[in-house]
Amino acid sequence: MLTLETIDLNGAQSLLNLSSNLNLNKILPNKVTIWKLRNNNPMRKSYINNKITIQAFDALTKLAVEMSKALYPYIREILQSRDDIDKNPYAWNNFKNRFIELIYERLNINSMRVKKLIDPNGNDEILIKNLLTLALCSSDEGYQKLRTSLLNF
Amino acid sequence: MLQNQLIFNQSSVSLEIIGLPDYANEENKSQISIISQWKLMIIDKPLIEGNIDHLSSIMGAFYSYANFLINNDNAFYESKFIDIKAENYFTHNVLLKSSKPNVKPLKIKIGNSVLSDIINCFDQFNSSIKVRKVNSVVLDKHPKKGFLVFINKDKIFSILLPPLISVCSLFLISSTFIYFYNLSEANDKKELIHSK
Repeated sequence: MLTLETIDLNGAQSLLNLSSNLNLNKILPNKVTIWKLRNNNPMRKSYINNKITIQAFDALTKLAVEMSKALYPYIREILQSRDDIDKNPYAWNNFKNRFIELIYERLNINSMRVKKLIDPNGNDEILIKNLLTLALCSSDEGYQKLRTSLLNF
Repeated sequence: MLQNQLIFNQSSVSLEIIGLPDYANEENKSQISIISQWKLMIIDKPLIEGNIDHLSSIMGAFYSYANFLINNDNAFYESKFIDIKAENYFTHNVLLKSSKPNVKPLKIKIGNSVLSDIINCFDQFNSSIKVRKVNSVVLDKHPKKGFLVFINKDKIFSILLPPLISVCSLFLISSTFIYFYNLSEANDKKELIHSK
């Protein structure tokens, strides 16, 4: 989700719009509900254990897949920029800087896992993996792929 | 007979399917149920083409490989027609083996962007209602992890080396202490004899 929000500057609003397009209004009626669900991430500054339901988990997964479908051209451009980092580093560097900014803003940087994410020398692999997973799941069967991957995590 | 042609595009990759409808089942003229030929075109890479068996094998390989990548497995796929291995986390080596004799295997290096384009093209092809789905048999060609696979030489060194060094240094230090101890004990005995 944070990766998607890094690409889409108006990510929170886009998520809400998508949830209404996907008829997920009952589970995700507003931005606050989405924010509360996302606070189940223990790496967040505002972490609260809300006990996420399977319906809410599925809804968030669907949102992530739909967002990655919509943002596929941008995800691809960033991945290509990393592939040809010598020729075209702009998109990759821009994405990386914004991702780190968002982490400082949202996550608890005292956590060791978060420190790994903001380490400029070691976070490339994690970022590429996140982007590639979203790119590979941006299809009609992407929901099943991402769901399985998240449940196996 | 004029054959039908369908093209699925995604950025740097395009998949062309050529075939005929199944007239026996009274299918639409624009439908493709009997695939006679297919071409996978990747920008700056050689053309990949073949028959229906090759397509199902290649699709199965790419889907399996993508699943390994998504599920944090060691990304590696081997089969009769195609091998895919990760060189690093942004380059993938694809080795295409021809079924014809005396034809050298074709090695292609692709990045993450091209890999995701290929998967996207295959997804478009799979979800198209104009073409019959190819049974991409996802055979489990992933090497089974025997106990020897888990033994990593670097890991063994990093596990065994520190205790080995500590035992050696302990032995060296203790042996020098024994020497000093013996020496001081001998001196004490000498002094005792002299005092007597």
